[in-house]
Amino acid sequence: MTIFEKIADAVQKGDSEAVEMLVKEALSTGDPVEGILNRGLVEGMNVVGIRFKNNECFIPEVLVSAKAMKMGMEILKPLLAGSGVKSRGKVVMGTIRGDLHDIGKNIVAMLLQGAGFEVVDLGADVPVERFVESAKKENADLVGMSALLSTTMVNMKEVISGLKGAGLETVKVIVGGAPVTGEYADKIGADGYAPDAASGVDVAKRLLEIRTA
Amino acid sequence: MKPGNIPVITIEEETIPLAYERAIREVWEKGIGIKTEYDHPEDPPSKDATVMIAVREPFGQPRFHRSFADGLGGLAEYVMEVVHGAHDYWVKPLEEILKGTESKDTRWTYTYHGRLFEYAVEGEVVNQINYMIEKLSRTGHTRRAQAITWNTKLDPPTEDPPCLQRVWGRLCEDDDGGYIFNMNTHWRSRDLFKAWFENVIAITTLMRKIAEAVSEKTGKPVRLGRYVDICDSLHIYGSYFREIQGDPEKGIKSFFEKLESRSFEERTWNSGFIKPFFIDDGVGKGLRPMLAREKEMPGSVRDAVAEELRKMEEEDYVV
Repeated sequence: MTIFEKIADAVQKGDSEAVEMLVKEALSTGDPVEGILNRGLVEGMNVVGIRFKNNECFIPEVLVSAKAMKMGMEILKPLLAGSGVKSRGKVVMGTIRGDLHDIGKNIVAMLLQGAGFEVVDLGADVPVERFVESAKKENADLVGMSALLSTTMVNMKEVISGLKGAGLETVKVIVGGAPVTGEYADKIGADGYAPDAASGVDVAKRLLEIRTA
Repeated sequence: MKPGNIPVITIEEETIPLAYERAIREVWEKGIGIKTEYDHPEDPPSKDATVMIAVREPFGQPRFHRSFADGLGGLAEYVMEVVHGAHDYWVKPLEEILKGTESKDTRWTYTYHGRLFEYAVEGEVVNQINYMIEKLSRTGHTRRAQAITWNTKLDPPTEDPPCLQRVWGRLCEDDDGGYIFNMNTHWRSRDLFKAWFENVIAITTLMRKIAEAVSEKTGKPVRLGRYVDICDSLHIYGSYFREIQGDPEKGIKSFFEKLESRSFEERTWNSGFIKPFFIDDGVGKGLRPMLAREKEMPGSVRDAVAEELRKMEEEDYVV
């Protein structure tokens, strides 16, 4: 097993301590940052995402693995700027105003990071203006919104209007959450609809025309 | 059971995960197909049964199943919500609650903690859990130590009324001069697949809190006895069937295949593994991030959560 495979394996197992040790070991022996990131951390989380999509692992396990990946990312963060590593796209995401339920959004955020996207997570109960401001400030490729209540999902349309009003027509929008349907997504002018957390990554890749290896 | 009669299921197991798995299997196999207010038009009818579940050792290990709809830090925050009222400040004002489904305020209409610890009646607030503790400490064999949640004025008009209805407890003497605390909870309705497990982790933590308070008051050891969970409607929503049945053509496993592909140890966690994640799950949830994030949490509640955090960090405290 290469050091990258060991890192990927530790991410899959959710073993944060092993990830920390292995990433430090890889750096100390001169392994490239891009390899540690893409062939180790991201690959490990990518496998978790595939297993989740195939109903082979449980939701809390995805988040335990995400913690392990994040542990490695924290070590790499200061080195990434000078390494030339590029993300697959930048996603601004959050739970819509009035909605405090954020587990679906959190899982999608972790899986997107695992698929190589850069995620700016705005959290829960996010005002319309903040989605728009952040999309502009971060130069986002995608905006992802989730809602668990039928009373709050109506605010998604306001975000889409706000993005257009701010001249951000090229930013793609994905929506999801228990009361949201594909029909509703079309009606409010969203570019994509994710019926569940696992399919969120596929929809993001499709919208940004990223080929799955 | 004759057609049109809701099946009645009784389950007794040693630990929470064993009871949980068996409940899912039995409701899936024996439940009646029935519509609920939450189904989408395209969803199949939910599976539903009246179920009584007895857990002989509520803190028996492994205590945590891996199948639930949140992360471990999120579960810790939910426990704080039920036991310490961490999210009571998310409840909307009374005038908005009284508007029922006409209210545009998306904040909550109740929390279990609010109803159990601060039940409003005739212009006063009653701490029913304190009543249970006092009553049990004075007369352990009482049959009156209970707390209710249902508010006959506020709940019928709302879209999402409380599922938990009643908590009941009784003490029995053990052979060593101490007590054993038995607790029952009664639920109107319950999402078995995505809520039952988290509910039970929180409510059995409350059970332990009551037992500890009675022990302090009586000066006698109080051990936890069996926990009994009674649901009028314990259901698996039709919208979950795709996840439970899987899709062999797309290589998606069924829920039961997922269970069977692992040993019991590989589908559960013990409290020792869970504790660091309850403190901070590393992805924004847990007691430490919660205290940092939720600035509006009232001071006394914040203190209670901080004390739980201290116990988890410094003591041999079982979550």
